[in-house]
Amino acid sequence: MTAAETKAETKAESKAEAAEVLISVRGVVKTYERGGETLRVLDGLDLDVKKGAFEALMGPSGSGKSTLLNLIAGLDRPTAGTITVGGKRIDELGESALAKWRGDTIGFVFQSFNLLPVLTALENVTLPLLLTRVAAKEREARATTALRIVGLEDRLHHYPRQLSGGQEQRVAIARAIVNDPALIVADEPTGDLDRKSAEDVLSLLERLNKQLGKTIVMVTHDPAAAERASIVRRLDKGQLQ
Amino acid sequence: MTLLGLAARNVLRNKVRATLTVLGVAISVLTFVLLRTVVGAWTAAADFAVKDRVVTRHKVTFVMTLPRRYVDDVRNAPHIRAATWANWFGGKDPKHESEFFATLAGDSKTFFTVYDDMKVDKETLERFQQDPQGAIVGDVLAKKMGWKAGDKVLLASSIYAKEGDWEFRIAGTYTATQKSVDRSTFVFHWTYLNDGVSIPGLKDQVGWIVSRVDDPSQAATIGVTLDKLFDDKEVQTLSQDERSFNSSFLASVSAILTAFDIISVVILAIMALLLGNTIAMGVRERTTEYGVLKAIGFRNGHIVLFIVGESTFVGLLGGLVGVLASYPIVERGLGRFLEENMGAFFPFFRINPLAALFAFVLALMLGATAAAIPALTASRLRPIEALRRVA
Repeated sequence: MTAAETKAETKAESKAEAAEVLISVRGVVKTYERGGETLRVLDGLDLDVKKGAFEALMGPSGSGKSTLLNLIAGLDRPTAGTITVGGKRIDELGESALAKWRGDTIGFVFQSFNLLPVLTALENVTLPLLLTRVAAKEREARATTALRIVGLEDRLHHYPRQLSGGQEQRVAIARAIVNDPALIVADEPTGDLDRKSAEDVLSLLERLNKQLGKTIVMVTHDPAAAERASIVRRLDKGQLQ
Repeated sequence: MTLLGLAARNVLRNKVRATLTVLGVAISVLTFVLLRTVVGAWTAAADFAVKDRVVTRHKVTFVMTLPRRYVDDVRNAPHIRAATWANWFGGKDPKHESEFFATLAGDSKTFFTVYDDMKVDKETLERFQQDPQGAIVGDVLAKKMGWKAGDKVLLASSIYAKEGDWEFRIAGTYTATQKSVDRSTFVFHWTYLNDGVSIPGLKDQVGWIVSRVDDPSQAATIGVTLDKLFDDKEVQTLSQDERSFNSSFLASVSAILTAFDIISVVILAIMALLLGNTIAMGVRERTTEYGVLKAIGFRNGHIVLFIVGESTFVGLLGGLVGVLASYPIVERGLGRFLEENMGAFFPFFRINPLAALFAFVLALMLGATAAAIPALTASRLRPIEALRRVA
């Protein structure tokens, strides 16, 4: 094997390896100003998340796990360092481009569901599709499918106030997957739920990961929730342990 | 569901607040329309003035009179087709002291020829001309006072006082061919007044002379020519086309009209603040939702569209309610009352459709602009700030 062949093979290998990595965080620093004091929440953090992974981020309050999740999801910007998701440097994107990227790439699941109370379950799920060129009928069909996946096909026209907490979170998950995003980020998705509903939601996330191949990064305090993830990472004082 | 549909649903989210805000906007629009109608009614006499009529009065003031013989001089002047005269009688029905209506002593032969926008049928006119104490009254006044042809009417005058009241007989009524004509005027024979006057200074005097000219476009020039006739006489005159003459009355209430204009603007400003405040409250309460929308890909422009759309929708509802409410209030209530009771000031108190349209468009525009600050503030929030904010 010639030197050139060896070099080409090495390059191909590293390319294949890089292709498996969906999220690459390098040297990320995040600081906040609070009362004239600078708080260093993330301190030169490195992280790789592979495509199709289901990772849980755990750590004590103030460890920086939600901050890291927000940076990965493009909701916030790092003070220093780079964040690459799906081969795109999101820390370099402008506000408008970042918003579009979020719409195309990320599905969000929040602790307090954050559904719009004036919209039905179906309309809440349709919401991200309003930003696309998908026709109204197709939007409705896709949203119905998403709600069927989360087991709420019989609650299409119910308003959030007419649903239980677990059902609301499942609607939120349907909203997160309706665009077929590459990555789902979930911030304490079971934090506001009873044990039974939490189990249902975690099973659903597990299914999305295993059956639909969705990459999921989840922040949680709950060890039982973290057990469902394939990888559990712990943060403390802005560093991965 | 569309983006604007979502904005409309947000309006109806807090029904009590939405209803109160829409009512607030509606009342502002209604008040605006009413004020514009008052201004419009006040200026109606000038706006609808007959173009070929020239009014000649005392140069100093309308209150001072002219010698009767001036009428003949005017009639003999070039370009004058016809001329008549009248005096302000200042009459009141002693039984109904609070009822105000204009009372004019006019030349029975020519008054209704020159004022041909006061329409009198032939029989009524003949009856009037044959009876020295005859009077013709506006149909609205006759209806209000319950007068009919043949009725005897007693009036007292603060200007032409005499022992006992002036006695008249109703010959009939006139109607109007123009919106600006007061249908509550009482017209009687000038000769009856002149013969009954006991104060020597008021004898053979006329309040004003009204002429019809042959060329309306030359009315102002003809007026100047008329005044020249009397430059060397004991009383000088001021002749104006009817529009200018009527406008000179408005000059005395111009401060009130200006005040109405200012109040109109103030009302619009209050409306904008009311809307702005309501929208700002709604935006503050929903900041987290805007954070969610931004998180899932909605951009700053979308957030502005939501909030401005919501405010414009409130403006639209308030504008519609205000304009729709103003019609029955003015056309069936206030307008009718003012025309019947204050016809001299408001002969035609009706909504100008353009003013109503203007008020509606303004409500829409103010709705859009009132939301500008809350919309920009919300749109500029970073998603993470919006998601963390607690209302």
